[in-house]
Amino acid sequence: MNLALKDIRFGLGRFLLTVVGVGFLITASVGMVGLYRGIVDDALLIIDRIGADLWVVQGGRAGPFAEGSAISSTMDRRVEGLPGVDRVRRYVQSSQQFEFAGRLRRATVTGLDYPADGGGWLPLIRGRHLASGHFEAIADVSLDVAQGDRIRLGQDDYTIVGITSGMVDMQGDSLLFVTVSDAMAIARRRTSEEVLLARASSGRVPAEAGTGTSSVEQESKIAAVLTTLSPAADADRIEATIEGWGDANVLSRADQHDLLLNQRLWRLRIQILAFTVVLLAVMAIVISLIIYTMTIEKLHQIAMLKLIGARNSVIVGMIAQQAGLVGSGGFVFGVGMAYVIFPFFPRRVVIDLPDLALLFLAVAAISAFASVVGIRRAMKVRAQEVLS
Amino acid sequence: MSRDPVLCVRDAAKHYRSGDTIVRALDGVSLHVAPGELIGITGPSGSGKSTLLLIAGLLEPPTRGEVRINGQPVAQPDAELDHLRDFRRRNIGFVFQKANLIPFLTAAENVALALEIDDVPVREAHRHAVDLLEGLALGHRVDNRPARLSGGEQQRVAIARAIANDPPLLLADEPTAALDSVRGRQVMELFREIASERQAGVLVVTHDPRSLDLFDRTIEFADGRIVAETTSRQAPAETVAAQ
Repeated sequence: MNLALKDIRFGLGRFLLTVVGVGFLITASVGMVGLYRGIVDDALLIIDRIGADLWVVQGGRAGPFAEGSAISSTMDRRVEGLPGVDRVRRYVQSSQQFEFAGRLRRATVTGLDYPADGGGWLPLIRGRHLASGHFEAIADVSLDVAQGDRIRLGQDDYTIVGITSGMVDMQGDSLLFVTVSDAMAIARRRTSEEVLLARASSGRVPAEAGTGTSSVEQESKIAAVLTTLSPAADADRIEATIEGWGDANVLSRADQHDLLLNQRLWRLRIQILAFTVVLLAVMAIVISLIIYTMTIEKLHQIAMLKLIGARNSVIVGMIAQQAGLVGSGGFVFGVGMAYVIFPFFPRRVVIDLPDLALLFLAVAAISAFASVVGIRRAMKVRAQEVLS
Repeated sequence: MSRDPVLCVRDAAKHYRSGDTIVRALDGVSLHVAPGELIGITGPSGSGKSTLLLIAGLLEPPTRGEVRINGQPVAQPDAELDHLRDFRRRNIGFVFQKANLIPFLTAAENVALALEIDDVPVREAHRHAVDLLEGLALGHRVDNRPARLSGGEQQRVAIARAIANDPPLLLADEPTAALDSVRGRQVMELFREIASERQAGVLVVTHDPRSLDLFDRTIEFADGRIVAETTSRQAPAETVAAQ
């Protein structure tokens, strides 16, 4: 007969509560690791999806994600002329807040170099890609706008023509895709007072507008030029050529990965790792205390088992199985809860199977440690304690 | 024809050190229990009755002397008693004042556990446990947990557990102390039956004078020594030589 299962059935409610408690600790651990994985995934999303071999950014800088980057909006023409370059696209990104349906929304406006790039690489769940050079936008579902909605950005209204899913930036802000020229116009948004002050400082008047130049200085900068190389291109040579210009720096996709993971997100990684270690330590203490308490409560019965001649293996088996069931039950519940509740969290929580396997090993080790604590106590019990 | 005693305690002493003094819980006690014999141990508190039971039950080693069970020397002052767990399982049954049943097991499971621990197959153990309980008029209680049994019923389950392996020696420490006189008498009659029918040697520590007529012999303890011995019934014919 399985004493561990019989005991659990006898105090089923208490056992389930214990499992739920341990399970929530496991859910928290899954969440900590998953949150980190989500942030990394979100950060690398654009870099991996957009399909650029090289990122041409401002000279001396490691932009546009790890540092700011502003280069001439005509840089793409220069890069396009290099042998081995197959395709270039301008890239602009800026954070914007806007009001829609009575609520303040936040989005990272990302420019697509239409018509070369209408957003065909974006995974749409509804609608279509960009089909016009102006006033169309593709929004992520997390922005909570619908296809056909019109939102006001800067001085203009944009129609949502497509909806993506899971397209957010490193901070978790929804990505909103418009054409590069629209993105630049949105970023250049100025108040009337700003325009008046700019005119006053430059000495220009609105009447000069008829000459074809703006009455205020227009900064025409983009963040990067996305470069796709032809298969036979010598990437090192192209990089060296561009860096030789002096006003531009070149980062490969691997460089961007490295910058984000090992520099931009380094502190976050260490912090989450530290929290996870603390959680695992708490879990080890909690499970050990639970098993120890369960053992202490059964000392009289353990003494009785010894008195009637039960081998140590019977007692060890009972304690070890209960520790194993608390651990594995908690793991199943915790992971189940993670799958149920994390989709409702504002940030993406990625549940990775290799991470779960590692966590399972950690829980198994903790349960083994806890059962050793209980077994050590049980082995000290003497049969004659039945009489006490 | 004579038979060896089931239990033979020779010159057993148990001394404890308490500060500067030595407490002589048991001081040179010798006794034999023959198969089929029911012996009552009486005496005031602290007279050494329970200590004798601990030593006879291989739960404490004697400070001096020797314990033999079925002629086999098993406990001396230097004995490692934890190594005798298998021997204890096969040869000694215990019953205490409290039934000490395992609360998460049913009556039948409590009895069957003693058999399963002795490597009896699960189904066979359960069947035998049910048979034993039915024999003790507990057939209607086999699936009840201890909490749903009365004190007398719990004690009968404890007795069924103690005799499940058919041990040649049964030790009981005040088994009727928590029972009323009627149920106490029933339990003592059960011990009488076990001794007579199973030919087990039964040693019962008791304060209850109402059941003394059921014992073959009554041994009185005081200050760790045997001070009197009374033969209440006719001792089993085959045990005389053991004395």
